[in-house]
Amino acid sequence: MLKTFASLLPYLRRYAWWYFAGLACLLLTNAGQIQFPQWLKQAVNAIASGHPEVTQISSLMVGMAATALVIALGRVGWRVFIIGAARRIEKELRQDLVDHLLSMPASWFAGQRIGDLMARATNDIEAVRMAIGMVLVALTDAVTISGAILVFLLIQDPLLGLIIVSPLPVITVLIVVFGGKVGVLFKKVQEEYSSLSTFAQENLAGSRVVKAFVQEASVDARFRRANEAYLDANMELVKLWGFFFPIISALSGLSALFLLYWGGQDVMSGKLSPGDFTAYLSYLGMLIWPLMGAGMVVNWLQRGAASLLRLREVLDTKPTIVAEGDLPRPKNFDLEFRNLSFAYSSEGPTVLSNLNFRIPQGQFVGVLGRVGSGKTTLAALLPRTFDPPAGTVFLGGQDIRNYRLDDLRSCFSVVPQSTFLFSDTIRNNIAFARPETPDDRLRVLAELSTISRDIEALSQGWETEVGERGITLSGGQKQRLSLSRALNVDAPILLLDDALSAVDLDTEEKIIDHLKATRLGKTNLLISHRVATLRHCDVVLVLDKGRIVDFGTHAELMAREGFYAETARLQHVEFVVGGSP
Amino acid sequence: MSEEIRGLDLKILSRLMGTLKPYRWQVVTSVVALGMGALSELAVPLLLQNGIDKGLLAHDLAHLTLVSAGILASIVVTMMTSFYQVYMLSKISQSVMLDLRTSLMARFQRQSSAWLLSHPQGRLVSAVTSDVSTLSEFFNTLFTSLLKDFVMMGGVVVALFVLHPLLAFWTVVTLPPVFVLVLLFGSWNRKANRRVRAQVSRVNAFLSEHLQGIGVVQLFGRQKAARATFSQENTELLAANLAERTINAVFRPLIDVLWAVSLGFLVWFGTQLFLHPDSSGTLTVGVLIAFITLVSRFYNPVASLAENFTALQSAMAGAERVFHFLETEVMVPDRGHLALGEAPHANIEFREVRFRYLPEEPVLQGLTFKVLEGQTVALVGTTGAGKTTITSLLTRLWDIDSGAILFGGNDLRDYQLSSLRGGIQSVLQDVFLFSGTVFDNIDLGRGLPRGRIEEVCRQVQAHGFIQALPLGYDTLLNEGATNLSSGQRQLVSFARVLAQDPKVLILDEATANIDTETEGMIQQALQVLLKDRTSLVIAHRLSTIRKADRILVLDRGIIAQSGTHEELLAQGGLYADVYKLQFESSSD
Repeated sequence: MLKTFASLLPYLRRYAWWYFAGLACLLLTNAGQIQFPQWLKQAVNAIASGHPEVTQISSLMVGMAATALVIALGRVGWRVFIIGAARRIEKELRQDLVDHLLSMPASWFAGQRIGDLMARATNDIEAVRMAIGMVLVALTDAVTISGAILVFLLIQDPLLGLIIVSPLPVITVLIVVFGGKVGVLFKKVQEEYSSLSTFAQENLAGSRVVKAFVQEASVDARFRRANEAYLDANMELVKLWGFFFPIISALSGLSALFLLYWGGQDVMSGKLSPGDFTAYLSYLGMLIWPLMGAGMVVNWLQRGAASLLRLREVLDTKPTIVAEGDLPRPKNFDLEFRNLSFAYSSEGPTVLSNLNFRIPQGQFVGVLGRVGSGKTTLAALLPRTFDPPAGTVFLGGQDIRNYRLDDLRSCFSVVPQSTFLFSDTIRNNIAFARPETPDDRLRVLAELSTISRDIEALSQGWETEVGERGITLSGGQKQRLSLSRALNVDAPILLLDDALSAVDLDTEEKIIDHLKATRLGKTNLLISHRVATLRHCDVVLVLDKGRIVDFGTHAELMAREGFYAETARLQHVEFVVGGSP
Repeated sequence: MSEEIRGLDLKILSRLMGTLKPYRWQVVTSVVALGMGALSELAVPLLLQNGIDKGLLAHDLAHLTLVSAGILASIVVTMMTSFYQVYMLSKISQSVMLDLRTSLMARFQRQSSAWLLSHPQGRLVSAVTSDVSTLSEFFNTLFTSLLKDFVMMGGVVVALFVLHPLLAFWTVVTLPPVFVLVLLFGSWNRKANRRVRAQVSRVNAFLSEHLQGIGVVQLFGRQKAARATFSQENTELLAANLAERTINAVFRPLIDVLWAVSLGFLVWFGTQLFLHPDSSGTLTVGVLIAFITLVSRFYNPVASLAENFTALQSAMAGAERVFHFLETEVMVPDRGHLALGEAPHANIEFREVRFRYLPEEPVLQGLTFKVLEGQTVALVGTTGAGKTTITSLLTRLWDIDSGAILFGGNDLRDYQLSSLRGGIQSVLQDVFLFSGTVFDNIDLGRGLPRGRIEEVCRQVQAHGFIQALPLGYDTLLNEGATNLSSGQRQLVSFARVLAQDPKVLILDEATANIDTETEGMIQQALQVLLKDRTSLVIAHRLSTIRKADRILVLDRGIIAQSGTHEELLAQGGLYADVYKLQFESSSD
């Protein structure tokens, strides 16, 4: 465990003085707390003696006030320093984690679940914070307060001290033992909650299907079951947790009872003064928190260590795209594939094999192929979303791996196959790559993808929020928005990865026309299943099982009886076979 | 957070209490348990006083033993009652949450699509989940914390007066400042806490979104900008956390100071009473010790008082949203009593149908057409011409503004909604599958025999690939069914519809995204679906259009042309123009 926490040393070192100052304040507070019952003892003894003196009582009062003030100031101090340091380290840790995540490549994200990463950035970091903040406080309290009180009680009267303190260590044991069990049950509650929430979310998203198939009653029943599971998990937790505090207060009551019974007999015999009795009573009350804290320290440290390990797991994974070159953006944008073969992992199947092709700058190139033929992979290799082998993909005559990554990526505008929009306004989504884009330019971009007509129809227009907090766009609208966003970069090479699949033919036609008119001299790479679209390209590559099986213009490919012509026939059977009407 | 409620809204409070009605006896017994617990807890200092004065200082061991037994009894009673009370109140609040969640969800499901679309889904989900959760917080805070705290604090004051009225008076005089402190810090704390919560959710939203969209962030080279934005949000979160810490760091020690002040007063006046005994009786050591103990008990709950009030208020805000949604009327009324099966025939007729989603944007403007039983009618037209709207109107996802839609000669609204939707089925382009098994997605909870499901899948050519999945029909689909290809999803949705054997089929033909092989399978499966069934097809493929019995050409909400493919080409006009534009040039 020590080794795990050692990785926090660089952070802790930066705040060493904060921790020292906090610790000093804490010790001051604890000293004051231990002193306070002593004033009470003297006061009670003075009163019990039957003739208290005003001067004595007055000086006692001054002492009490001074002690109370010291305690208060110390408390303010340790909260400011220790909690302050823990919060600051928490922030730095979170920032480092997010910085690291942002630099991780797509290949790494493919194996991660977003929910799990979120948990690391939230719950795990919080667990680490508890370990570097409250642990110190609880540990110090446990050692100083309970140590001092135990020493005091045992020195005064060992036997009596042992008797009255005996119920209290059970508190520590209870917390250590049940803490873990409670953690497990709590996790179960959270899981049930998240499955309940997922169910609600999914069925609201699919409400159309639920209605269409008249499944309301069945959804009701299943949702009720999810709720019952959540209730049961909660009640399991309550059965354990609900006992916890009642037992703790019972134990502390028990120790006060022992004091009354056995300590009382000592008072009768004169071994103990009434003031001592009062001080004992106060001390017993003061012991509860440090003993609870001691138990919690164990849990906090365990949880903190586990969480830290989960954080390190992410932070210690190096980004795989490390071979970044130092070339700036090239002057010409000819693309070339030389003997390109690619597999996602060394054991995995070959996705692309031995591709050789040149795309001169300014060409409009189409790609056709079955699902799984490697089209998307091809597009993903260009901006190094996935890394091609060295010496296979060239841009402007240089291996793309020789460019600085940012410069390389700035050469491409990408419209990916699955559209991701941010829950933000339409304006901000289109302006994503260049937030300062002026309005008239945004309007032009919206017209290029024809999303402008949809924006005009919305009552809030450009300021309409999309996504979870806003309206739900249709598949075609999302794709066109995503296209406008990509065009805002206006990069030398545009990659459209089956990115107009949900747009109707008519609109797609218009978009292609717009692209042709506005992107003169720039390269466009269009992956599509539609021959009606591909026929506008200068040249079409036909991919099959990771190989280029054919290429040529629409007319050339139609003339050869290959996959392209076959696809065309299937898509417009009557027309191709039956001729014009 | 802007919807935070100021003060306590009595109307919401009474509705909240209303949700407890089914559990009123449990509530009564737990409140009784709470009272008993508080009494037995308060008994301890009183017994202590008695034991000290009459046992210990009077050297009466028998009395001391008796009092000790009494304390033991009250410890046991306190423990039992507080466990009972915590358990019962959790059970009650959990049950109330279950009731509210299920009725909210039932209500949402029965709302019209118009209503569902006009309410962001995130808000509906959070109403069902987090807003309802705040209610359980409400009951927990109210009963286990606030009610108990007030009973205890009140009990302490009463006990003080019982023990020694004059000393009690002087002690109680020192208590009000603490309430001033609570009120003052309470409102600061509330603000600080609200700021923290708002910022936490901003940070989380930012994270979850940028992790999901990491590909987009990287492709557009926005890592630096994202880092900078996150750094800002993260710094603001730190500032919010530190502000809250500062308030707490000052507030809690201040309460401790006030507690010490009260004790000082107590000792001071205790001494005065001792020196100048008067009619209110002398002060004993036992009474003094009991006072010290009781005053500590009084100060215990004070620190959390402010937090509890905050929790109460935010719970009320959540409750208001929940009740608002529960009161919203279901906007597609289901008043019909006819069953679709009783219709004399399956003709569909639109008569002068007018409809708009938004007041100023008419979609259908007096649409009139007829589909005869067993016919396949193709709808063609530009995007936004109203094709999809027609399909939504037929299943009453929306109700029309004027005109009439008839099925089998009866108005749609005369049919039971469930019977109508069961008999008129639509297959949409955007296939929505639930996370669950393939079988569940086709069966949809009706419990059809396995053989029937497989039979249906064979007919639409889905059986082959389903069998090839790791667990066949029992394979779990991911969220969004990403473990199926889009063509496979399409075939599953066909099977789902065929399993229902609907009287009328509405088909929104998929445009693309499907490779040619799957395309071939889908075309064949479609023939199975359409055979002898009254069908309305939003067509994109020439083959489908040409096979239709009739083609309706929609333009801006009216039927511009109708007829067969050949008739329409011969007529000239919109259809012929679109046809030429889309298909003719592909022969170049």
